[in-house]
Amino acid sequence: MTALSTDSPMPTETSPAQLRERKDRRRAWLLLSPGLLWMALFMVLPMCMVVYVSFWTQTTFSVNSTLTTASWERFLGSATYLHAIGTTLRVWAIVLAATLIVGYPVALYIGLFVRNKTLQTALLVACVIPFWTSFLIRVIAWRPMLGTEGAINTILMKLGLIHEPLTFLLFSEFSVLVGMTQIYCVFMVGPVTFMIGRIDPSVIEAARDLGASFGTIFRRIILPLSLPGVMVGAIFVSVMVLGEFATAASLSGRKVNLLGNIIVSQVGSLKWAFAAVAGVVLTLIITAVIALALRIVDLRKEM
Amino acid sequence: MLTVRQVSRRYGETVALEGLSLEVPADTYMSLLGASGSGKTTLLRLIAGFEEPDAGQIALDGTRLDGKPPHQRDIGFVFQNFALFPHLSVAQNVAFGLRYRAANPLTDNEEIRARSEAALELVGLKGFGHRGIGAISGGQRQRVALARTLVCEPRIVLLDEPLGALDANLRARMCDELKAIRERLGVSFLHVTGSETEALTMGDRVAVLSGGRIVQADAPERLFAEPANAQAARHLNAWNIFDAGLCAGGGAGQLGVRFDQIDISAPGQAPGAHLRLPARFLAGEFNGPTALSFFRAADGSLLQVTDHLSQPRLPDLVEGQDYDLHFAPQTARQFPGAAR
Repeated sequence: MTALSTDSPMPTETSPAQLRERKDRRRAWLLLSPGLLWMALFMVLPMCMVVYVSFWTQTTFSVNSTLTTASWERFLGSATYLHAIGTTLRVWAIVLAATLIVGYPVALYIGLFVRNKTLQTALLVACVIPFWTSFLIRVIAWRPMLGTEGAINTILMKLGLIHEPLTFLLFSEFSVLVGMTQIYCVFMVGPVTFMIGRIDPSVIEAARDLGASFGTIFRRIILPLSLPGVMVGAIFVSVMVLGEFATAASLSGRKVNLLGNIIVSQVGSLKWAFAAVAGVVLTLIITAVIALALRIVDLRKEM
Repeated sequence: MLTVRQVSRRYGETVALEGLSLEVPADTYMSLLGASGSGKTTLLRLIAGFEEPDAGQIALDGTRLDGKPPHQRDIGFVFQNFALFPHLSVAQNVAFGLRYRAANPLTDNEEIRARSEAALELVGLKGFGHRGIGAISGGQRQRVALARTLVCEPRIVLLDEPLGALDANLRARMCDELKAIRERLGVSFLHVTGSETEALTMGDRVAVLSGGRIVQADAPERLFAEPANAQAARHLNAWNIFDAGLCAGGGAGQLGVRFDQIDISAPGQAPGAHLRLPARFLAGEFNGPTALSFFRAADGSLLQVTDHLSQPRLPDLVEGQDYDLHFAPQTARQFPGAAR
């Protein structure tokens, strides 16, 4: 009796499947390499350089590569600079909250109540219109609005609501907050609109059919489903606000010092080592903020 | 009892429903048969309150429904795509209505858990509560959607092509289960479908929706055997409808003859008592237990004849050849109006 044998000699040459897998892997590397190269040359390398420079020795007009912790000690020992960290964090938190408060209802309206896709796109584009002009103009345009003889003060005086111009409006932390909120709001609106627009309308109808009122549906369905959008928006806004210097420079009248402003002024006076310390601190803060955001919402799961 | 009276609904120029009237008696499985685009879903959406009719009334047990927001209507809606909450687990999906409805929500977690579990058990998903919506199959999602609706004990359940997204095997099984579940709960189901088999299998009563109104609502056996008009007959996919003038002595208007009640003979060989019409054999189609033969009549209309494999009664047919189709006069139904 002949037994059916299933084992044949193992083929020695590579099978077509293995060849294909190898080809796929090569293609993946090929696609990945430009990005990797770019990141290595223009991000990882400079980052290492900044950390390295922060330990260099700073003399009044020059910097040399003798390693020292002097710049770090001066930064961490100075109330001014620690205060700047506090200001940066405070401005970041307030602007983040403000963009969320202003932006979320807009996104809710565009994403949920405008069901016509063309109109949705048109409204989103309308949000970006301020970006058709330069950053500086957008910021400086707040001066005639908020100044002591600006539009708001004039109107309030004409209405008789105030008798003296409000001075806290311009060249204060308030004007910085207003300016930043206006500029960065759209970065919150975009991702949130996208997430809300992706909610299947029948899911909301199902919740209504099960007897839930609009408030409940918002809290239990729409808000949780839009959270990944909020998180992406928050990361956009955070990264930009934490590194900000221009809005503060032109709207605060030098009263508000953010970490970004310190870096600019130190670089301006050729204090490279000290600027590098501020840069490292800023990078650490941004990393911590993003890590925190990603802990709250698992984007890989939600998107 | 759900009463829909003279309801109309237009979308711009398009008329979806035109003076539609329908009654769904208490404790009844009613299926609503209609072609795609006939306004079936629109009717359900009007009843559920997602849209309002342009004219007419909708009432449930004598209370008017139109004008009330959907969450105050106490109607269950099972969506074609299930519309489960993607961020909630199976148990949370089922408990949603109990916990978050505006009218007397449950607050006792133990009671909510018990009732959700009972609902899951009813649809055969005991022990699936902790799963995520993404981690269950299409058939199971269908059951979750059903459990989520039934747990709220609605006064009537609307099902929008509930089996459309399932494969054929699962569909047959869900058909039986839906019927059994409904009988156990004693609540009325209004089940919308485009499949005549599904409508006839499921329904205690079947309503046919055509041209924006109900053209017939009857028991399935009666609807199948005696369609009241040509539109209803056309939806059953079992009736040839042709101009009566094609048959000598056929009278006026249109005639309807069931696919399985037509016999075929060579020209001139038909029995004298039968009505006959000449037609050319186009093609045959074999689909298992039955074989379909297609004929073209003199005026161009297409006729079908069904033959059962176990009891063949047709002669061997040659493509392109002329035959006489004949049938007993009493099997034909006379419909007024000209053929479409």
